[in-house]
Amino acid sequence: MSDLSDLPPGRPWWHAASHPAPALLVALALWGWAMTHTDVSDLDDFGLVTALHPTFWAGLALLTVGFWATLRGPRRHPAWAPAYVVGLLVMERATQAVLYPTPLYAWAWKHDAVVDHLLTAGRLENADAIGDMAVYDQWPGFFAAQAALVRLLGVDSAAQFMAWWPLVCGLMLLLPLLLLYRTFTEDRRLIWTGVWIFCVANWVGQDYFSPQSVAFALHLGVLAVVLRRYGRPGQSAVRQRQAVWTVLLTVLVVAVVISHQLTPGMLIVSLAALFLTRRYRDKVPLVTTVVIFLAWCLTAALPFLSAALPDMIRSIGDIGGNVSTGYGATPTGTGAVTTSWVARLLSASVLLLAVVGVLRQPVLRHRAMPLLLIAAAPLPMLGASSYGSEMIFRVLMFMLPGAAFFAAAALLPQVRTLTAMERTSRTEPRLYGWLPLLALLAGTLAFVPSYSGKDRISYFPPAEVDLVRQVVDQAPDASLVVAADRNYPLAFADYWRVDHYWFLDDDREHVDAIVHDPAATLARDMSAVESPGRAYLLFSRGQFADSEMNGLLTKGQLDRIRQSVDASPLFERVAGNDAGVAYVLKETGR
Amino acid sequence: MTPQELVVRALPPFGGWLALSALALPDGSVLRGAAMVAFLAAGPGAAMLRICGPALAMVPAAGPVERRDPAFERHSDQLERLMLTVFVSVALVLLAGTVFIATHAFSAQRVLLTLTLLTTAAAFCPRLRASPPRTAKGTAT
Repeated sequence: MSDLSDLPPGRPWWHAASHPAPALLVALALWGWAMTHTDVSDLDDFGLVTALHPTFWAGLALLTVGFWATLRGPRRHPAWAPAYVVGLLVMERATQAVLYPTPLYAWAWKHDAVVDHLLTAGRLENADAIGDMAVYDQWPGFFAAQAALVRLLGVDSAAQFMAWWPLVCGLMLLLPLLLLYRTFTEDRRLIWTGVWIFCVANWVGQDYFSPQSVAFALHLGVLAVVLRRYGRPGQSAVRQRQAVWTVLLTVLVVAVVISHQLTPGMLIVSLAALFLTRRYRDKVPLVTTVVIFLAWCLTAALPFLSAALPDMIRSIGDIGGNVSTGYGATPTGTGAVTTSWVARLLSASVLLLAVVGVLRQPVLRHRAMPLLLIAAAPLPMLGASSYGSEMIFRVLMFMLPGAAFFAAAALLPQVRTLTAMERTSRTEPRLYGWLPLLALLAGTLAFVPSYSGKDRISYFPPAEVDLVRQVVDQAPDASLVVAADRNYPLAFADYWRVDHYWFLDDDREHVDAIVHDPAATLARDMSAVESPGRAYLLFSRGQFADSEMNGLLTKGQLDRIRQSVDASPLFERVAGNDAGVAYVLKETGR
Repeated sequence: MTPQELVVRALPPFGGWLALSALALPDGSVLRGAAMVAFLAAGPGAAMLRICGPALAMVPAAGPVERRDPAFERHSDQLERLMLTVFVSVALVLLAGTVFIATHAFSAQRVLLTLTLLTTAAAFCPRLRASPPRTAKGTAT
């Protein structure tokens, strides 16, 4: 029989609530509830933000608070922090896959079309056969692998699984990111706060079904290996052993180079920045990457590069032109403007926090100097190319791994040297309990409008997919599909046999001519199609949303164009539903 | 060879042959998908790393200055192996797909069979051991 005094002291009832498990489980349960009570059938200009059930926001806030409490509890099992981060990824990157019945983003649908092309053709084709789309056949790595996956899974197309790609990609990124951070600190608070900030600040949305999503993860993997295994002065014995590492590195670099145009460039500038430091003056990774990149550019990718070279040379040094987002990318309307500003504010805050972290953490700045270099290395690329008006977003994304680490450092107590720690034993100021939590909460909640605030543009309901499918299926070879812009699903479907023309891509003068006299101008534009091809005109809600919210044509103008075509004897209606309408140019209209 | 070593050696090719046999399952079935994804995401990389592991471990990894947790370095090494297992697998799938499509010989079955054969061959290879560092006179230390 034991004495009662042997028992541990009684714990208050609320002790159980401070355990990491209840907060995580309740947050996920709230998310699950929100997923079954959110209606996405009528999105407004704020996208998913206003459509989400309030329990989603409660779940996200609870998850963030729980995560922060878990990190601050010194006796918590180390598995709780990754569990919370995976929870965050599920809430961030799986929400759209659960809510929407069809995959998002016109660009993802375009990549699905490229996979479809490889499966149909069974080989790579050049510009003579498929025009501008040949560029994808010159960096085919991702698409070839996805083509194999589609067949191996036995599904009709990549559209059946690509909605889940952001989650897969987020989980993949965790591995190199953790390894990068663990190279410079043992402090799990710093590591996981950095990972959390990276996840919530990575709103740029390059994690959709795309080559850059995989190439970015591999890029970080290469950097993690270089930082861990090439960081010592090169003695001959070490170099000999590094040969095996170089073989592995080569496999990863080749996969990056054959998959994406920009990522190898970013990898090279990052490795070059590291090479400038005494600690990483090993030329093997840099030379290996440059040689593989040049070898690919001068062989497989030469047709595209030789055609694009004059423009690329012209844009070098034109920073103003390179960072401008261009015509058709001006947020218009309260929703688009607000969500764009939230996204900008989120990125600016993280970069500002990173600067604060660098300034107030001299010890960390010295120890993690390579991460600082990796964060700064992509900046010169702003002067190199506009990359289709996207360079500023890409640079931001490549800066983020390093920036998130130092942003986390700004939210945590100062890192001191071992000697300084032995001399003083300072307690953590109360400030470090609340302020960082508020910053994390604000960033986490701001992610949603930044990432999903334009879902009215990105989401295509099943009716819209059906409508476009009907048009493509009935189009004979050598047909032309005309639309206002390319923001609709299957916009590139069958591009090897069906041509496309998006009149809002044309110069402003011609767009004005279409607005002035829609049916006659469009009929003239479409009349060059030769038999047996037909010329189709498609209007769908995705085009309207994109045009309105990006400052192209207003809904009134587009409606007028559609009504003019509808009333014209030159066109005949061939398909239509509540998501849009399609017409064909009559044979007599040519 | 310990039972654990046998499992590490045999599991990747087993996964490959399992994925190949899963092609007999109906199109789009969950079991077929799970077998494919599991093998393609980890099999080839695991086989390569088993061969290279000892040689890779000869190069010391850079780590944080503070060394409070004795297990930290070991956990980082494990994380690195996990990352490389996945990333090398993904890279090899990209490479195999590209080679077949570029040579006009593309078929998904060929990609899977090639990776399975590669993984099987790797299982029969001895592990790669880096030569010990030499002194100035060329004798082992």
